[in-house]
Amino acid sequence: MNVRVPATELRRSTAPWAGALVLGTALAFLYALGGGPWWRGTAAWTEQWTSMALWTRSLLVFLWPLAVGLGALQGLRDHRSRMTELLASTPRPAWHRGAAVAGTTALTLVSAYALLVLLGGVQVFANTSYGHAGWLPVSLVGAFALVAGAVLGMGAARALPSALTPPALAVAAFAVTVLCQPSPDEAVPTPLAPNRLSLLSPAAAQVREALLTLSASAHTGQALWLLGMAATGFALLTAVSRRARLLALTPVLAGAALALLVLPSDPRHTYVVDEAAAERVCDGPVCVTAMHQGRLADVAGPARRALRLLRTALGDGAPATVRESTALRGIGDTPERSSRTVLVDFDDGMIAGAKGEDLTRALIAQALAPACFARSDRESGITGELAAQSVAAGWVLGDLEPFGGTVHAADDQLALARPVWKRLTALPRAEQLARITAARDAALRCEGFTLDVLNGGATR
Amino acid sequence: MRWLTLYARARHVPASLAAVVLSAVAVWALAGDGGRGPGDPRLPVLALAAGAMAASTGLGGHDLALDRTAAIRWAPRRAAHVVLIGTAVCAALLAAQALGEDLATLAFVVRDGAGLAGLAAAGAAVCGARYAWTLPFGWLSFALFAPPPSGVPAQMATWMLVPPGTAAATWTAAVLAAAGTAAYALAGPRR
Repeated sequence: MNVRVPATELRRSTAPWAGALVLGTALAFLYALGGGPWWRGTAAWTEQWTSMALWTRSLLVFLWPLAVGLGALQGLRDHRSRMTELLASTPRPAWHRGAAVAGTTALTLVSAYALLVLLGGVQVFANTSYGHAGWLPVSLVGAFALVAGAVLGMGAARALPSALTPPALAVAAFAVTVLCQPSPDEAVPTPLAPNRLSLLSPAAAQVREALLTLSASAHTGQALWLLGMAATGFALLTAVSRRARLLALTPVLAGAALALLVLPSDPRHTYVVDEAAAERVCDGPVCVTAMHQGRLADVAGPARRALRLLRTALGDGAPATVRESTALRGIGDTPERSSRTVLVDFDDGMIAGAKGEDLTRALIAQALAPACFARSDRESGITGELAAQSVAAGWVLGDLEPFGGTVHAADDQLALARPVWKRLTALPRAEQLARITAARDAALRCEGFTLDVLNGGATR
Repeated sequence: MRWLTLYARARHVPASLAAVVLSAVAVWALAGDGGRGPGDPRLPVLALAAGAMAASTGLGGHDLALDRTAAIRWAPRRAAHVVLIGTAVCAALLAAQALGEDLATLAFVVRDGAGLAGLAAAGAAVCGARYAWTLPFGWLSFALFAPPPSGVPAQMATWMLVPPGTAAATWTAAVLAAAGTAAYALAGPRR
């Protein structure tokens, strides 16, 4: 194997540029736009392996068009330097040269993507105790997508050697990735285009639910499509006759046909709950998902205390367990509800940011007046609901305290809560319990405002 | 007239004009589905950027050294070329709009067309005509994925997508158009 040629290609082609630009733009995007959703909540890109893999995959929405455009610039080289005829006269098969240039570009692109994943991986390793290999296919398909895009760009520019080819290819690829990227606001990411077609774009949706991962059929279909794309690109890169160029289109068409047969037609079968990550890990009556098993030690003590206090206050109607909610919901949907168990969502700042005593208070609040308007890094919830929760928790613990970890200021919460608290505590004990029970029923059914019920008003 | 014909041929004008028209038609066809509301600025911006990027490949000739030996004043001709690119890109999109869905207001199209044409001209002056498209492409992809703008610097960074009438965005587009055109007119395309 003669390494001189690939070594020269590594230095003198667009290969080093491709690697540097892909890594540079991705890092600039992740770090310069510090306020992005990839830094917040339980699905941040440094929190879980799957989230990291999917967030880096979602960056393909602009990295993939970049790879296609850079590949096309590389493919124009022979035409630009007017060497096509000279090279055609050399007694070497065309695929030798094609392999040298495509191989080096592939090497730099894969290295850049691997470095990006490694950078996320190091931070994930420090942040979570739940390790698994289920995220690997997500990143492998992503790296292969970059390679296939670049090779397709090279082949297309060889077949259509015009200065217009690189920008045209880049814009076309960009339009595809932008218009096909699913919106993450639904319970499962849903694209506007038909689901199968939208999966032909290699960019994943942005991550909002840490439990979601791409299904096996989505991986298989995308891998088939990208294999066809890479084969067509390479065949176009090395084709010398018109007939060979026409024949070169076969793999991409075959790949697309096979992929459309394999790819799921329903968004709910594209992004599926990772069963292993959603499995329950329990400490007595307190359960979290396997993904968050590292939090169990911190949650178990305060949660048991909260359950004890609730049992004393409510008697037999009290919830007996604490469990992390695993239901998928879209933005603005009502969270999962249950009267027999306290459902915890670590995306809710009130619970995620609390420790010890504060966590006990938050869990009691969540049991007596579960929030109907979800709180997360994209949803603010409402102050009135937080005030009702603080009154309910105060009724059990004997003092009124506002909650931290939300966008609602403590003073605003207290301004709403204090008058209700005063009226409630002035009542006889039996009536207090009746009001709390009525408020809890209203909150579990999400009928009216819990604060009004605590205040003695009928449910609206 | 003869000079113009030769100039247009050397600058790939027919091919890039076809690309400009094609991008406007493609966006018009996509908008015809009615999948996105008229408030979504992404489609018209994609069309304008695609047009500006296609036309930017013609901002350099076959032989720059030979061009420079010509006894004509290049600066006004280069400036006129950039202005024509902006005009053609805007006109194609407005014509496509007249045929179908309303995608964007006139003010929006003019602001973005002018800014993107200036950006493409700056790209030609800085990186050469062959790579001129990378500048509008890079800024477009940044603007599309940046978080929603809050504050003047963010509005300047995402000037392509903020609603028309935002002062910061209008000024950014105007400065880009003026600076890009001036740089290209005075310096010419980089080799």
